[in-house]
Amino acid sequence: MSGPKTSPAGTNGSKGVFMFIKFFYTLKDVGVPVSPTSFLTLQKALYQGLITSLDDFYTCARAVLVKSERYFDLYDQVFAYHFDGVPLPEDEGFEIDQMARAMLDEWLKNPKSMADALDVDENALKKLNPDELIDYFKKRLKDQDGRHDGGSKWIGTGGISPVGHSGYHPGGMRVGGESRNKSAVKVANERRYKNYSTQGPLTQAKIGEALKRLRNMIPAGPKDVINVDETIRTTLRNGGEIELIFDRAMKDRLKVILAIDNGGWSMDPHIQVVQTLFNYARAQFKEVKTYFFHNTIYDYVWEDPSRYKKPKKVMDFARLDPETRLIIVGDASMAPYELMAHNGAIHITDRSGRPSIEQLNFLAQTFSKAVWLNPVSQIMWGYTHTIMAISQIFPMYELSLDGLEQAVTKLMEKA
Amino acid sequence: MALSLPFQQIRHNGDLMPKHQDARFQGARKYVLDPELASIVNISMSLEMPLLLKGEPGTGKTMLAHAIADTLDMQLITLNVKSSMKLVEALYQYDTLTRLNDSRFGDSTRDVSNIDDYIKMGKIGQAFCAENRAVLLIDEIDKADTDFQDDMLDVLDQMQFDIIETDRTISAIHRPVIIITSNAKKDLSDPFLGRCNFHHIAFPEPKMMRKIIQVHFPAIDSQLAENAISAFYAARGIDGIEKKPATRELINWLRALQADPDFKAKDLLKGSMPFLGVMFKKSPDYERAKNITGRHKRF
Repeated sequence: MSGPKTSPAGTNGSKGVFMFIKFFYTLKDVGVPVSPTSFLTLQKALYQGLITSLDDFYTCARAVLVKSERYFDLYDQVFAYHFDGVPLPEDEGFEIDQMARAMLDEWLKNPKSMADALDVDENALKKLNPDELIDYFKKRLKDQDGRHDGGSKWIGTGGISPVGHSGYHPGGMRVGGESRNKSAVKVANERRYKNYSTQGPLTQAKIGEALKRLRNMIPAGPKDVINVDETIRTTLRNGGEIELIFDRAMKDRLKVILAIDNGGWSMDPHIQVVQTLFNYARAQFKEVKTYFFHNTIYDYVWEDPSRYKKPKKVMDFARLDPETRLIIVGDASMAPYELMAHNGAIHITDRSGRPSIEQLNFLAQTFSKAVWLNPVSQIMWGYTHTIMAISQIFPMYELSLDGLEQAVTKLMEKA
Repeated sequence: MALSLPFQQIRHNGDLMPKHQDARFQGARKYVLDPELASIVNISMSLEMPLLLKGEPGTGKTMLAHAIADTLDMQLITLNVKSSMKLVEALYQYDTLTRLNDSRFGDSTRDVSNIDDYIKMGKIGQAFCAENRAVLLIDEIDKADTDFQDDMLDVLDQMQFDIIETDRTISAIHRPVIIITSNAKKDLSDPFLGRCNFHHIAFPEPKMMRKIIQVHFPAIDSQLAENAISAFYAARGIDGIEKKPATRELINWLRALQADPDFKAKDLLKGSMPFLGVMFKKSPDYERAKNITGRHKRF
């Protein structure tokens, strides 16, 4: 085995402990949630002589201190920094790292548009190798940070710029995985857990987890659960003659309406995530009604995705159970008149007297428990007028794991 | 070394073969242990802390508990967590109905005035009361709601619980080796995590997979194994697959390939993938894989 091998257990005496304290605080500083109790547990393991090599220490400290694979990558970085002197990325380095990588990707696909967006000569960039390019992009990103309020030229212009997407994940980034017979420092340097550390795309499992709490248990179905207390009471009243009392089982009877914006190019990038949400909702809730609309809601929503065959009058929703949870999914991005004008609908058949914003207000009043899920990343909301307007009507959450959880909490709030 | 870790025997050779070959479970009782995981198991046992295992399905989370029990010759007690489960069901059950029945008809050998006769131990209770140290597997804890996890904290921390009906405290005779598995990507509650050691089992790398295949098919043709493994990892790499094939699928797939007399190992290199349905269990995944692998003459 190569790499440094020390014996953390005991031999270094108090100096060794001090070293681990520093290691512990570095972990805490970079954002790994570590608790003092777990640190003490680690000390216990050290004093019991359970850890005899740096490799042991790497494995055991991770098992004891780090409680989620999302932080394994950070742990690897801190470990490499601490025991091998590999520099930690600078502040915000993690995010900028990814952003720069996204830019590099874009550059490889389409050098011209990238050069235009950055306002530099394409040929000047061509001379740089990928590493230099990444450094260059990082520098540009940092400049960008400095002049944030000035309305920068190339980030946040709403879909034209190739770098305005904050939700980029370095997908398909493979972790190096060969032999395990390496020193811990080397393993840590490989950063095997890199692909767990990003937020990750919303998969069905994740959506399921987030929506699990969306439940409303009420007794339903046949009476097939025995109620012991009642049985004893009745039996006593009968003078010992046993009488069994049955109840209905608790079942989930939550009603959900899911309204999805499935029209327009602006939703195209989000189709997959919305589809996942939709599939999950269909599998999970017994009473889920799905409707489709384009950009915003006017007089009708449609039951069929092509928005043609089965229109449903929005006014009819007034007759539904007001306890129904209404979840609207859409990017809420459109021309302001589509939302505000009396005849705002871009489809001529949709046009009626009522502006969409009134319809949305009507829905919000009908269903007190309603949320709007927006696949557009939250930091971009401020740039679009209609997003701001609609978020005044419905509580709006980002269509991400965090956003979903907040939305579910909102939906389950007691009135 | 002075310290004696009970799980050490499997540390050096990495492979773990069961001592008792139960004829019926022969296929399922084979487990290849990663040395990193072995040292985590050892340390958790020495620290007497539960070990929480996460990882995608098919990485052998549940199998690990079986392997520990087999290797160390301990009794394995499995608590399969269900979504509606209350903690008390895992601890003990007070059989009121039988007691009510006995008190009415009085024709059993049980003593109606003695409530203890009507207390049945649940899985956690059984692990606490076991004569020898047992392995307690709490499988798929994420299925239950967070209340269940929070309630379980104290029990696992104190290694004891009270039977309310009889006001009796059950303490663990031996602290069981506790293995907890979780499938979900979601984190469990922080206080719960604080009391466990944690490990995420990554999907086995090809090298590890070769070992696993070797254990399951000792007599397999090496070229077939090699080609199948690379085809398998290629299949896992297909974009947009919702349920990636796991170890279990690979093993079943190999079985299918071996059973097919017409099949030749070198066909796999040409990109053909027979028996796709063994690998992909969801129809959109299946369709996708079918389009990509192209030549799928035999199905």
